[in-house]
Amino acid sequence: MGRAKIKRGSTSVDMTPMCDVAFLLLTFFILAAQFKPQDALNVTPPSSVSNKVAPQKDFLNVTIDKNNKVFLDMDQKLKADVITELGKERNISFSPQDVKDFENTGYVGVPISQLQQYIKLTPEQIAKTDLPGIPVDSANNELAAWIGAAKAVSLGAHLNFLIKGDDAAKYPIFKAVVDAFKQNDEFKYNLVTNAKQVPEGSELYKKNIREQLEGKKAEDAKK
Amino acid sequence: MAEMEVKQSSKKGPGVKKGKKLSTRVDLTPMVDLGFLLITFFIFTTTVQQPTSMNLNMPKDTKDPNLDMKVKESGSLTLLLGKGNVVYYYEGNDPSKMQTTTYKEVRKIILDKKKSTPAADLFVIIKPDKDATYKNAVDMLDEMDINEIGKYAMVDPTPDEYSKIQQTEVAAGIK
Repeated sequence: MGRAKIKRGSTSVDMTPMCDVAFLLLTFFILAAQFKPQDALNVTPPSSVSNKVAPQKDFLNVTIDKNNKVFLDMDQKLKADVITELGKERNISFSPQDVKDFENTGYVGVPISQLQQYIKLTPEQIAKTDLPGIPVDSANNELAAWIGAAKAVSLGAHLNFLIKGDDAAKYPIFKAVVDAFKQNDEFKYNLVTNAKQVPEGSELYKKNIREQLEGKKAEDAKK
Repeated sequence: MAEMEVKQSSKKGPGVKKGKKLSTRVDLTPMVDLGFLLITFFIFTTTVQQPTSMNLNMPKDTKDPNLDMKVKESGSLTLLLGKGNVVYYYEGNDPSKMQTTTYKEVRKIILDKKKSTPAADLFVIIKPDKDATYKNAVDMLDEMDINEIGKYAMVDPTPDEYSKIQQTEVAAGIK
């Protein structure tokens, strides 16, 4: 009696479909990844232990760069209304073309008087020019006018006020920005920061662990 | 692994030289490896980039002294943020007792104060002066979070305090 021969199957697998899938996924992720909008503003925010994600909708973003200049950016859908409103307040007439140009401009970095020339510039030109920033001194706080316009067009809907400051920005300029918000009766802000680990052994660290344990106990009790 | 060679069967008659056919199959394993490596890389880099934010609520400015918050002298700790990442602090309301420390050591001072005062009385006053940076202010607010200080306020230093800081800075040669 001959022993039954076990037919040895080949152990090699055809890798082609797997390779296809891998690269398909790769292409998908690369294309779907939101490219960081070309941030010409080079700002390094300070770090904090806060782990709340910065809101990405209905926002008004005030950036303070390391030369203490103030820039403003806002949600794309607000832009057209805000510029029209601001034009009404300041008696500047913005043509439909101006409004369109403004929508295509990334952030505002000039006083309102120079706005019409500014929105005609391409992003490359803006990156090259040395922008004066929005005036925030107490005599001429134009940022307050911008915030006022944004508030007026949002009709009481909640706006997220983001303040993104550079590590090296001086405190008085931050205070001036806060004052601009205060003039508009806005007292809640989100300071954009980089996430950092909670230092081990600190009060907050202990509290987080306590909460975790309690959460686990509650889960166990449910079971 | 994927096969590299394919057995060649000769169908030609004897004596006819076989033209050696090279296999067209390529081992795709390294390519798959690379593909997945890149995928993992992209996934990690995209999710980590989310910026976080810290909530800050400021009180409304008021001119009415009756609405000003009353702070118990025994429970107050004033932290003044000066030039060159230096912190000055004093307890109570006597600025002449001002002492100097750094951002690394300030946690110990806050914790000591927290331990020595009843929770209801504890109040930390942060006073960044003109030369402090934005980072200094955020670091100090963060420190309040880390040490779980419930009540704190951020105000400007008084002229007295500011001149004292400047004297100290000149004496210590901080630029």
